[in-house]
Amino acid sequence: MNSRSGTSGANKDLGEVIVICSGKGGVGKTTTTASLGAALALRGKRVLVVDADIGLRNLDVILGLENRIVFNVVDVAKKICKPSQAIIKSKRSNNLYLLAASQTDDKDVIDEAEIRAVIDQFRREFHYILVDSPAGIEQGFRNACAGAESAIVVTNPEVSAIRDADRVVGLLSSKGIEARLIINRVDFDMVRRGDMLSVRDVQDILGVEILGVIERDEQIIVAANTGEPVSYNPKSKAGQAFTRIAGRVCGEQIPIPNFSGGSIWSRLTRRLGVAS
Amino acid sequence: MFNALRKRLFGDNQESKSAAKSRLHFVLVQDRTGLTNEEMAGFREEMVKVIEKYFVIDKEGFDVKYHRIEDHTTLLINSPVIVRRAGSVSSRPPTPPSSPTPTPPTEQPEEALASNV
Repeated sequence: MNSRSGTSGANKDLGEVIVICSGKGGVGKTTTTASLGAALALRGKRVLVVDADIGLRNLDVILGLENRIVFNVVDVAKKICKPSQAIIKSKRSNNLYLLAASQTDDKDVIDEAEIRAVIDQFRREFHYILVDSPAGIEQGFRNACAGAESAIVVTNPEVSAIRDADRVVGLLSSKGIEARLIINRVDFDMVRRGDMLSVRDVQDILGVEILGVIERDEQIIVAANTGEPVSYNPKSKAGQAFTRIAGRVCGEQIPIPNFSGGSIWSRLTRRLGVAS
Repeated sequence: MFNALRKRLFGDNQESKSAAKSRLHFVLVQDRTGLTNEEMAGFREEMVKVIEKYFVIDKEGFDVKYHRIEDHTTLLINSPVIVRRAGSVSSRPPTPPSSPTPTPPTEQPEEALASNV
């Protein structure tokens, strides 16, 4: 239906556009966009991350590029500048670029056709274009989905985040956009105690392919403080997880730890046919 | 069976995730079907009535589930049938009334309706 690894699509020269969304705010969309973008760039892919959260931009801060922004996505849409003038190269990689959101405009200042036109102008230059959606399911979300071939839905293993993820998965599927899931902030100690939904629980409930699992990790906060994505920190568990996710996005078969390889517990429960 | 073992090992109240699971199932059924609680209860009641016209069923075991499969939600109605009700299907010879050894409840999907949500 759509090109997952960027090779099976209709046009091999065009980059793959992936929207990062969640419904609920604060689950880690922006961190995921920045960290996955950095991890893909480390693999040698040319990556553009687009902040579609107009009026509440944050991706610039997570990437440590807040003091370099001149033009933004609205300027490109309204042809106030050339597309090449609006993208900002990241500090650590020559492969990773940011197209910032406008901070002063309103969400309704651009529509779906305009954002699709903006993205199309960059598709020949980049292997991957990751669009960071705002929270919610209104115009901002619809704009972020415009032009996307697939989606990454970020959720946390808790009731409200999963409920919103389910809603977003439904909306994406009505648009014909395939969704894959990243479960963020998993605490495996709590899962073992039975106080947190497991990866398998979340997959059983949502029925969506799991793209990755991010363990709760203090290094995410440290990375946000310094403006250096966690993917650059090889000691960070979250960073390692994003590196694996980048591999899966590129089409590699990488098992998800504590899930398919599995702990003794998960293997036992699976053998018994129990969704634990 | 396994749940019982787990409960004995860890104590019944310790697993807050089972509360999360059942609460999620509750809200997702509402979200996916767009039906209110009352409508859901009414739907269940009417389905039970329809099935009971033809079968003796174990009402306790009657269950409605919603599964997302790719791009649609499937409604799975699971109704353990104890025995077919006598004379329910007019064209066939009726089964002997209240057979002495009723067949044990067999769990089988009674009906599966696919609907796009």
